[in-house]
Amino acid sequence: MTGPAVTGPAVTGPAGSGASVARAAGPGASGAGTAASGALLKVEGLKVHFPIKEGIIFERHIGDVRAVDGVSFELRRGETFGLVGESGCGKSTTGRAIVRIYRPTAGRVEFDGVDIATLEGDALKGMRRRVQMIFQDPYASLDPRMTAGSIIAEPLDIHGIGTKAERQDRIRELLPLVGLNAEYGVRYPHEFSGGQRQRIGVARALALDPDLVVADEPISALDVSIQAQILNLLSRLQDRLGLTYLFIAHDLAVVRHISDRIAVMYLGQIVEVASSRELNTQPLHPYSVALLSAAPIPDPGVEKRRRRIILHGDVPSPAAPPSGCRFHTRCWLRERLGNPERCSAEEPALRELSSGHTVACHFAEDVAGSVEQGLVTGRNVPVAAGPAGGASPAAE
Amino acid sequence: MALLDVRDLVVRFRTADGTIHAVNGVTFELEVGETLGLVGESGCGKSVTNLALMRLLPRPAGRIEGGQVLFDEVDLLALPESEIRDIRGRDIAMIFQDPMTSLNPVLTIEEQLVETIRAHRRVSRQDARDRAIQLLEMVGIPKPEGRLKAFPHQFSGGMRQRVMIAMALALEPKLLIADEPTTALDVTIQAQVLELLGRLTTEGGTALILITHDLGVVAGMTQRINVMYAGYIVETAPTVDLFAQPSHPYTVGLLHSIPKVTEAEDEELIPIEGRPPDMRQTPTGCPFASRCAWRLEQCWTDNPTLAPLVAGTRLVTTGPEATHRIACHNPPTHEEALAGRPRRAGFSPAPAPAGRIDELAAAAAMIEVPA
Repeated sequence: MTGPAVTGPAVTGPAGSGASVARAAGPGASGAGTAASGALLKVEGLKVHFPIKEGIIFERHIGDVRAVDGVSFELRRGETFGLVGESGCGKSTTGRAIVRIYRPTAGRVEFDGVDIATLEGDALKGMRRRVQMIFQDPYASLDPRMTAGSIIAEPLDIHGIGTKAERQDRIRELLPLVGLNAEYGVRYPHEFSGGQRQRIGVARALALDPDLVVADEPISALDVSIQAQILNLLSRLQDRLGLTYLFIAHDLAVVRHISDRIAVMYLGQIVEVASSRELNTQPLHPYSVALLSAAPIPDPGVEKRRRRIILHGDVPSPAAPPSGCRFHTRCWLRERLGNPERCSAEEPALRELSSGHTVACHFAEDVAGSVEQGLVTGRNVPVAAGPAGGASPAAE
Repeated sequence: MALLDVRDLVVRFRTADGTIHAVNGVTFELEVGETLGLVGESGCGKSVTNLALMRLLPRPAGRIEGGQVLFDEVDLLALPESEIRDIRGRDIAMIFQDPMTSLNPVLTIEEQLVETIRAHRRVSRQDARDRAIQLLEMVGIPKPEGRLKAFPHQFSGGMRQRVMIAMALALEPKLLIADEPTTALDVTIQAQVLELLGRLTTEGGTALILITHDLGVVAGMTQRINVMYAGYIVETAPTVDLFAQPSHPYTVGLLHSIPKVTEAEDEELIPIEGRPPDMRQTPTGCPFASRCAWRLEQCWTDNPTLAPLVAGTRLVTTGPEATHRIACHNPPTHEEALAGRPRRAGFSPAPAPAGRIDELAAAAAMIEVPA
């Protein structure tokens, strides 16, 4: 998928140059093997393992939770890249490793040509100026004893930017940018609603004028009517400031709406990467198909027509992932193909099936054009088909 | 005669911060075997309505200040505590959002299931145990005999919710109230649980009230929907009609706030600006007025009542032919509902009278500020 580690020309383009590019280029236009010039972030073989320990005085290392286990992808300047998957799939851990909240166990995280996986001290601090994060819970991520203004200005304090007066100006500039009254800087978090708090979180992330913003489930704690406010705010800010987003969420419809490209994760690995449009119309991994078919659609007509692929059982433990393909224990395709041995024996690598569309499944060709693929949207469901028959019994 | 008949239910909470007007006169009915969705955002009163009719409001803060709840023609609100206890679990069962906090962590699944059964039925321990195994089998728990001795923490979230469903259906209730039953679950597990819930309630002829904020879930699961806002029902219709012709500005706003998996490329989201009203205020006018793009001057002062969408329609309150009703002075037309915005020449939402907050104007003023 990616060539040998090219040290990219570290051109730090002026902010604002990238936004329109990615939107216009869109899916498909940018083919495979994108040169490093377009990539702001390049993740290669990223692993984050958490040790499991036993014993009180003499701690013994008895295993690892392999939260992220060999993840590779690339973020182009100015695009929104979505990471989607269910709880425990490693999507948040990936995001946190990129911001270096966690130290990667292995792999490279190349930001603008520099490997940041092993950075320390001042170099790490410098990198963090350009990579900021928006958190899920707007209640837990704001210090209740600080005013909105001091929360927003804290990144400036940490990096020693500007005088006190300049910081005040920056606060008064950032608040309206995220849709809050410029006078609200003196208020405390409890005086704001959930949506307004999340706006403060966004303003804090923007204080340092970052290139990359990692948004980890930024709207899932908010009410439906407020979610759209924040999504629109993020899009508008991207257009205006030329930001690159890594957007992490479990809700496929939301990720699809905001992202240019999407990676689907399962048990610490990426199983499919495609443009948002292609993933929605032609998913090629059996898990992506199941995920799409499981998402309820707010349209009773479609809901009646389409059929769900009900996956068996629960996600296995990341401390002891299944052999071969990690999805094989729940895979509807494997079952239909008569449980080929290859699925449980050999780990499938990500391979490119069409331009910019990669998938990690030995039998992805069998998904293309299958009835199940049609199930996803409810559009092409044949009348008398019992296609999902092999997969429909919910129990097991 | 309806199975459940809720009339003018009013619920308030007395807190140190003042009185919370949680439910402000809610009226609806439910037939035997019918599935009803209650949709709304946090704080709209959808859960409180159901806690009130089960008489499970936290005391002493929560108080039913008015109304009637007739279940099988018996007023639940007038029953002595001992009789309502008999009805809970036996005739009306409830499933909550978080199965971990609804199950007792120090009792085995067997103890909890058997206790439920024996609290209401005079059966031997052995018979209750057999019934428990049968129930676990029914909700798709593999090898149920072996799992009876397990504790709740030994089950995954989806499995725990299945146990909750088994427990709720143990006594074949006439009505099952499911309060956000899948919100804590992953989407593939949600699909499993919804499929199970739908199948079992249909097979058993159990009426279902499904409380959720997720319009996608109600679209596939219910026959009829009540949309709630700030303690009022603002729109009610059969599910198909509600989605085909959403007619209250709030419902229209909700539908335009969620990205659809099937949406056309670059479909724009139209958020509902502002935020829900402070429930401590005594409601004046339409509760949605400050956020509504269709509001008229009278909306600020005069709260509209629920009335048929087409004036003069004979009122049907339940079933697939239920009358589509809304509480709105100036409903969006069908074209406007599709567009998500008013489309009338020269129309602009009526400005707020002195002392009221205009969320629309506030949001509009913010958006145009240059960077």
